[in-house]
Amino acid sequence: MNLLEIKNLHAAIGDTKILHGIDLTINRGEVHAIMGPNGSGKSTLSYVLSGRDGYEVTEGEILLDGESVLEMEADERARAGMFLAFQYPVELPGVTGMSFLRAAVNARRREAGEDEVDQLEFVKLVRAAAADLGVDNEMLKRAVNVGFSGGEKKRYEILQMALLKPSLAVLDETDSGLDVDALKIVSDGVNAQRGDDCGMLVITHYQRLLSHIVPDFVHILAGGRIIKSGDKSLALEVEENGYAGLVNAA
Amino acid sequence: MPHKLSEIISWPEQREKAKSYFDSYGWPDNRNEAWKYTSLAHLQEAEFTATSSSVPSKTSPADLEGLSVQISGNMLQLPPKDAIPAGISITDITTDDGARAAAFTYLADNHLLPALSAMHQTSAIAIDIEKTDSASPLPAVIISLTGSSKDGACYPFVVVRVHKGAEARIAELHSSDAGLSCPLMVYEVADDAKLHHIRLQTEASHTTHLGLNQMQMGKNSQINSFAISMGGALSRLETHSLFHGTDAELAQSAIYLGRDRQHHDITSFVAHEMRDCASRQLIRGVLDDKARGVFQGKVRVAPDAQKTDGQQMSRALLLSRDAEADAKPELEIFADDVVCSHGATVGELDENLMFYLKSRGIAEDDARNMLIDAFLVDTLDEIEDPDFAAFMTSQINRWSLARR
Ligand SMILES: Nc1ncnc2c1ncn2[C@@H]1O[C@H](COP(=O)(O)OP(=O)(O)OP(=O)(O)O)[C@@H](O)[C@H]1O
Ligand SMILES: [Mg+2]
Repeated sequence: MNLLEIKNLHAAIGDTKILHGIDLTINRGEVHAIMGPNGSGKSTLSYVLSGRDGYEVTEGEILLDGESVLEMEADERARAGMFLAFQYPVELPGVTGMSFLRAAVNARRREAGEDEVDQLEFVKLVRAAAADLGVDNEMLKRAVNVGFSGGEKKRYEILQMALLKPSLAVLDETDSGLDVDALKIVSDGVNAQRGDDCGMLVITHYQRLLSHIVPDFVHILAGGRIIKSGDKSLALEVEENGYAGLVNAA
Repeated sequence: MPHKLSEIISWPEQREKAKSYFDSYGWPDNRNEAWKYTSLAHLQEAEFTATSSSVPSKTSPADLEGLSVQISGNMLQLPPKDAIPAGISITDITTDDGARAAAFTYLADNHLLPALSAMHQTSAIAIDIEKTDSASPLPAVIISLTGSSKDGACYPFVVVRVHKGAEARIAELHSSDAGLSCPLMVYEVADDAKLHHIRLQTEASHTTHLGLNQMQMGKNSQINSFAISMGGALSRLETHSLFHGTDAELAQSAIYLGRDRQHHDITSFVAHEMRDCASRQLIRGVLDDKARGVFQGKVRVAPDAQKTDGQQMSRALLLSRDAEADAKPELEIFADDVVCSHGATVGELDENLMFYLKSRGIAEDDARNMLIDAFLVDTLDEIEDPDFAAFMTSQINRWSLARR
């Protein structure tokens, strides 16, 4: 069965129609990249998939493991295996990292009928995952994302992904704001999640990320539609020539 | 402390003053500026009897250790004499007019809450805390104010004197089921003394709670005070804090939590009369359903009170469309070399933060509670005493859990 099936998806924010009929199928083990000009609807697609309030599906269907998610709240979708790494992660003053991470992991575990994670064991688990991503202990003690640099916030998103082990990960411009070394670390973290169980949708503007996280498919989103799909060479083509030619041809 | 005998008005005189004040003004409603947001018009027709049931067997909560003092209407239960360590004395002054009058001196102004107390006082105690030579700290004194019935009223009066150089820990736990509960608490903190103070209001859902806490601060004294209002139908906590000496520090914060049709009013007046003193107040309110919250905070800096540091910040969080919060911060500054700031905000839960938490699988209710806790945590951090901090935090958690 397909992991994710998006069929003729139309979506609006209030009265503004943003997505105009998207079809996309992702299987387990596949990495799909989405590229596209600013304002083409990439983040909107990621929010619609995650079930954000205010993003209305006006037509079409989204199936996760064959089941429609349209009636599910954002938290239910997350517990069902979806994960969104935010383009702009928000700061949560007063919410400590450890309690936040534990609440998230336990919510997912309860859903799967597993026991809640033991506190001490959890700290070890987080520290190990954090070390792999270059997230230091000091950051774990602070309130979530508060005072983190842009790049630190992105690493923290991937740390959450590593702990939650989603079946579908949507990464919205996770590469923006990362320096060269951080890009390598984060990409390694993402690649470690790659495997037969997980499908990924990677939104980016840059070929640079895709040389680390090599995609199986590349899609170009413009004006709320996928105007072209191809393999990784399509990303190189965009890097060379920009979007103008593709948009005009469509 | 300006405790001049010449200023003391005898108890019968005090009562007469109170009666004539109440006869002319009665229960205030919204037309009275000080009661603009909190009308007591509903009390005009109400009739209460100042009787009381017996002292309940329930003592102070298990999670707060200390000497237990119980006041239930006109009934008192003080700890046995041999259980009270040197440095602490607890005296029933209900029938001691001289002692009552002496403690009442500062409250001679025309003001509703002291007037009610002077007219109807049902019980009165004095607690004295003195500096000891002992290395171990004195136990906390836990004052439980309970009792009476729906058609009853309680007017307890407590004066706490923290003598020169002493350090006291006092908890006030208001959980009566009276129709009207009017506790009057006076704290006199002498030179170089320190008071740790918590006040928890969990009265019955039909109770009108009108509390007044009067704080007097001597030179180089410190108060670390924290109040939670979460019970009652209508509740007003007034705090009047007066600096009588230089170099004193007041940290006085409060949280109110409202649901259903509860009305919570926190009204504070800080009078900086002397130089080099600091006051710091954080007020947080969380309002659900059709609850209403009011914060009125006046800070007055007298012409001689140079180098005053006065900080005040109030924030209210509305969890429902029908909840409402009003804030009236006021600074009256007559000195020129001071640092004072105040601010007040009213807001709702941030949808962006809610979505972030939910996108991690955290259910709506849990996400809300996390954000409510986050909203309150820096205020709870103001409580210095670790036992008091743990106790007050557990009360907030109880409220959050009951929301579900
Ligand atoms: N809350 C909103 N209300 C109305 N229009 C919106 C709202 N949010 C986004 N849009 C519009 O939807 C369109 C798509 O925005 P979106 O953020 O999905 O673009 P994007 O492809 O992610 O762009 P970028 O590459 O800059 O991140 C834009 O025209 C944007 O202005
Ligand atoms: Mg975007």
